[in-house]
Amino acid sequence: MKRGKGMGAYCAALFAFLYLPLGVMFVFSFNDARRNVVWKGFTLKWYTALFHDAELMSAMLTSLELAAAAAAIAAVIGMLASYAMVKHKPFRGRSAYDALLNVPLMMPEVALGVGLLTFLVRAGFELDFTALACSHALICLPYTIAAVRARLISLQESSLEDAAMDLGATEWQAFVKVTMPLAMPAIISGALLSFTVSFQDFVTTFFVAGIGIVTMPIKIYSMMKFGVTPEINALSVCLLLATFTLIGLNTAFAVRPDEASHR
Amino acid sequence: MNKALSWLLGGRKPAASHLLLAPATLWLVFLLVIPAAGLVLLSFAKNGPYGLILWEFGFQNYRRAFDHKYLPVLLRTLGFAGATTALCLILGYPMAYYLAFRAGRWRNALLVGLMVPFWSSCLVAYYSWMIVLGKEGLLNTAMISIGFLSRPIGFLYSPFSILLGLVYFYLPFAVLPLYASLDKVPRAVIEAAYDLGAGRWTAFFKVTLPLSLPGVVAGCVLTFIPCLGDFLTVEILGGPRYYLLGNLISNQFMMAQDWPFGSALTTILLAGLVGGLWLYQRWESA
Repeated sequence: MKRGKGMGAYCAALFAFLYLPLGVMFVFSFNDARRNVVWKGFTLKWYTALFHDAELMSAMLTSLELAAAAAAIAAVIGMLASYAMVKHKPFRGRSAYDALLNVPLMMPEVALGVGLLTFLVRAGFELDFTALACSHALICLPYTIAAVRARLISLQESSLEDAAMDLGATEWQAFVKVTMPLAMPAIISGALLSFTVSFQDFVTTFFVAGIGIVTMPIKIYSMMKFGVTPEINALSVCLLLATFTLIGLNTAFAVRPDEASHR
Repeated sequence: MNKALSWLLGGRKPAASHLLLAPATLWLVFLLVIPAAGLVLLSFAKNGPYGLILWEFGFQNYRRAFDHKYLPVLLRTLGFAGATTALCLILGYPMAYYLAFRAGRWRNALLVGLMVPFWSSCLVAYYSWMIVLGKEGLLNTAMISIGFLSRPIGFLYSPFSILLGLVYFYLPFAVLPLYASLDKVPRAVIEAAYDLGAGRWTAFFKVTLPLSLPGVVAGCVLTFIPCLGDFLTVEILGGPRYYLLGNLISNQFMMAQDWPFGSALTTILLAGLVGGLWLYQRWESA
């Protein structure tokens, strides 16, 4: 297949384009030079510098707390909503509600950000951690619901809960002993996805975060305003590794559609 | 207690569904519907001194958005979104084709690989493009050292770098729907075209391409619409000379303190988005 080869080469080139910036950043984060692009030798000093930067560490902590809070809120809301959407008898207006649930995903983040900013300020709320966590939970919600819902649908098809109830379990027992344990991987997967979304969100945070709240992306952005430095490379590599770990964990928890019904 | 739980979980009454959906509804109403409605309302108000909002209703903010100073920004936004969409489709189609027909056992790995840059933060990816494209960046240094250039070119902060950033970020958004629809094209139909004497290209243009049209349209929607509201690309790779709608909006809220005008711009963005999706739905159901 000669044609296939040409196309394969094209795809390889396109992949190179997608990965070039990530690779460049990775390599130069180990470069022993302030000026970025000439290779002067291997060093880890930019990484050690990160850990001695107190502001940076506090930004990291803020981001982790924020992502954990947003993921937790979205997981609870998402689980309840998915359950009602999948297992309950369809109520009036369900398809419209379904569409509304996906709006946070479609809405341009700038519009979402300025909308939240305007609302919070006009309604007299403080632009504090709670407000930001609730805002992040909104962006995370569609991801959680997508993950949990798919799982609940495949459970529904397996009729395991019906079997439990035929054998005398109450609805509550079926929920606690069958539905929850089987839905747990999807809830965790959705929460990990939410964590990732919140952890690297820049745009919404940029608008909603008050002056006192500095997350990691906000910190990187303000460092970038002063130009390209090797510390940002090292920081970005750490951020990327964290993201990849989370995505990897998520794939481990994500349920393949064929697997669910076979358990 | 048990009865109440059964009622809630069994969900034969709408009230049970509403109760379980209450937290989600709370979030959607207070953090999505009311803020959006608030912006629309605010867009008809007037900006007073020191960012004070005067509730004198009128269309002045909309008139201003389309005057000679701001109309170019709207047109530029449409232009960049259009160019990005076209480039993403042209560059992405062969890749989607390869994934659907040629990739074989590598397919899943490649699909995941395609999503990885998307999941890595956009901020970080754009930052590394700054390293590549800057005056003392990788591209300039490399081209000077091989003697292709005698002095550095300003790749960064130009339409080129903006388009590159947009295509970089939105390419997966075009490839995935293209792949999904190409994957659904029945192989037997293509075989039939060959059997009936069509060449490779005839078979492609008469069979495969028309059958993948839903993917092309979905890819268009998924790149064009988010592009209209893009904010970060120009913020990092562009600069004030090339402000797009998203940057203009951000500026009204964060710098100029003209919230009513910013709200009008956001309403225009949302109207464009809703209009686009409406057209898409009509096309899909037609």
